[in-house]
Amino acid sequence: MSDTVSMKKRGQFKETWRRFTKNKGAVIGLGFIALLAVCALIPSVIAPYGFDDQLLSRRFQSPSGAHLFGTDEYGRDIFSRVVYGCRISLTLGLVSVTISCALGIVLGCVAGYYGKVADNVIMRVIDVMLSIPNILLAVSIVAALGTSFFNLMLAIGIGAVPGYARVVRAAILSVKEQEYIEAARSNGASDLRIIVSHIVPNCMAPIIVQATMSIASAVLSAAGMSFIGLGIMPPTPEWGSMLSSGRAYIRDYWYVVTFPGLAIMLTVFSINLLGDGLRDALDPRLKS
Amino acid sequence: MSALIEVRDLKKYFKTPKGNLHAVDGVSFGIERGKTLGVVGESGCGKSTLGRVTIHLLEATSGRIFFEGKDISQIGGAEVKRYRQDMQMIFQDPYSSLDPRMSVSNIIAEPLRIYRKCRDEAELGAQVGRLMDRVGLARRLADAYPHELDGGRRQRIGVARALSLNPKFIVCDEPVSALDVSIQAQILNLMQDLQAELDLTFLFITHNMAVVKHISDEILVMYMGKMVESAPSGSVFAERFHPYTKALLAAVPVPVLGGKKERRLLKGEISSPVNPKPGCRFAKRCEFATELCSAEEPPFAEAKPGHRVACHHVKSINALA
Repeated sequence: MSDTVSMKKRGQFKETWRRFTKNKGAVIGLGFIALLAVCALIPSVIAPYGFDDQLLSRRFQSPSGAHLFGTDEYGRDIFSRVVYGCRISLTLGLVSVTISCALGIVLGCVAGYYGKVADNVIMRVIDVMLSIPNILLAVSIVAALGTSFFNLMLAIGIGAVPGYARVVRAAILSVKEQEYIEAARSNGASDLRIIVSHIVPNCMAPIIVQATMSIASAVLSAAGMSFIGLGIMPPTPEWGSMLSSGRAYIRDYWYVVTFPGLAIMLTVFSINLLGDGLRDALDPRLKS
Repeated sequence: MSALIEVRDLKKYFKTPKGNLHAVDGVSFGIERGKTLGVVGESGCGKSTLGRVTIHLLEATSGRIFFEGKDISQIGGAEVKRYRQDMQMIFQDPYSSLDPRMSVSNIIAEPLRIYRKCRDEAELGAQVGRLMDRVGLARRLADAYPHELDGGRRQRIGVARALSLNPKFIVCDEPVSALDVSIQAQILNLMQDLQAELDLTFLFITHNMAVVKHISDEILVMYMGKMVESAPSGSVFAERFHPYTKALLAAVPVPVLGGKKERRLLKGEISSPVNPKPGCRFAKRCEFATELCSAEEPPFAEAKPGHRVACHHVKSINALA
């Protein structure tokens, strides 16, 4: 037997990965996300046409070998636009969720851990934010900062902060009463260390659930913003704006809205599967 | 020999909507190096609060704490962190006192990391290994998580964590009450061995009279935040003077077939610790209580050399001269 005891750094990652791969759904989710990531990175290789190649003579063609998902009102290949749209939609979903997650976790931690005045001030501000409709908040942020892709993500991200802050605060309130928090304090741990290495890891489950759910709503809010002209500008392909522009033809040409919609649905579905798998894999108590 | 830790007139009041809750009210004690003070009393009498206030996990309302002769009752911030190395705590519930997301080795290593006691991960690993050996944990459990282990092993982790900084003084907050009886004995023996080996000083909080008899040198009996009796361990078990201590010890079952003993049932209600009335706090439940008891607080005075009791009628009840 060796003299030292392993301190578990690489071993932990391997163990998490092993538990993750046991979950079939999570692996399927990860596979689909990986596929989307490839589309986002090298769309020009995968898409047979450019995203804005217009040819009015081939408007509204049904799905066929030449146009897998058919063509839209300007004769653009929908498959190619869905592939190009990956980059925009995926970036938008991930970045806006990262923004709201980071802000929400920080605010929730401060409110939940320190309590009292900090809690009251933060949560009342959150209440005020909750009373403003999300779309209105996003509109005013974009209107104030100017129309750009990053401002759009920021606006959508900020709109989702209250949800995170509340979820995180509630989780922290139950975790911080546990004896291991007191034990850490008696070992001389600072507040920051207690929050980062004990409280947040033990609050991961609700945070992951919240994050995976809000990626979907981020993509849809972006569609709404595009619709009123404050989001992605045409002809840039974005799933949400493809949906809203195809809405007009839904009765005659089903494929114009169906495929971007399916893309959103499958993305959201696989992110949820991935999130569930991740939540379980990161919890050592569920090891088996 | 002077005491390693000494507490004088310690008070801890919690603010509640109804008034101040007197959790610890004027407790004084001293523990010499290498000795154990057992604190006993029923649930809610302030034992745990006393332990936490003593090592600055809670701020005292008033009173003084001396550690190695230095007054540490007013320290804050960095100084508290420095003294935490010398004063550790073993917790009651080994199921909730260990972070479920950390492996055994990381739990034991955390204090060492916080105080940067080891130069690198290899030295840290070696130190954790030595601590695991010392408390009787197999090294193969280093990568395990707390939920995979039984209560006894979990409590050994708690002991190893408390020992990791080489403390001089450890507050043990009912460290065995969550364990089953056979495991209790193992952990108690382990703690006694460690005490002898490392010259540790314990403040041992429990409600289990058998445990306190086994491990303590001195015993302090508390009732609703007040000291009611204190004496060397043997002395309390030989003769007790306070009516509450008598009732407490009479409640311990006797493991003898057909064995019978006098029963002393306490009657009456526990009065509220929120804004307590003047007088003896035990008066409402005491069979010997008189008007004096509910009017005036009894002094905590010597009834015999080394044996102090807080009771107005200690002499008449116990037929002492």
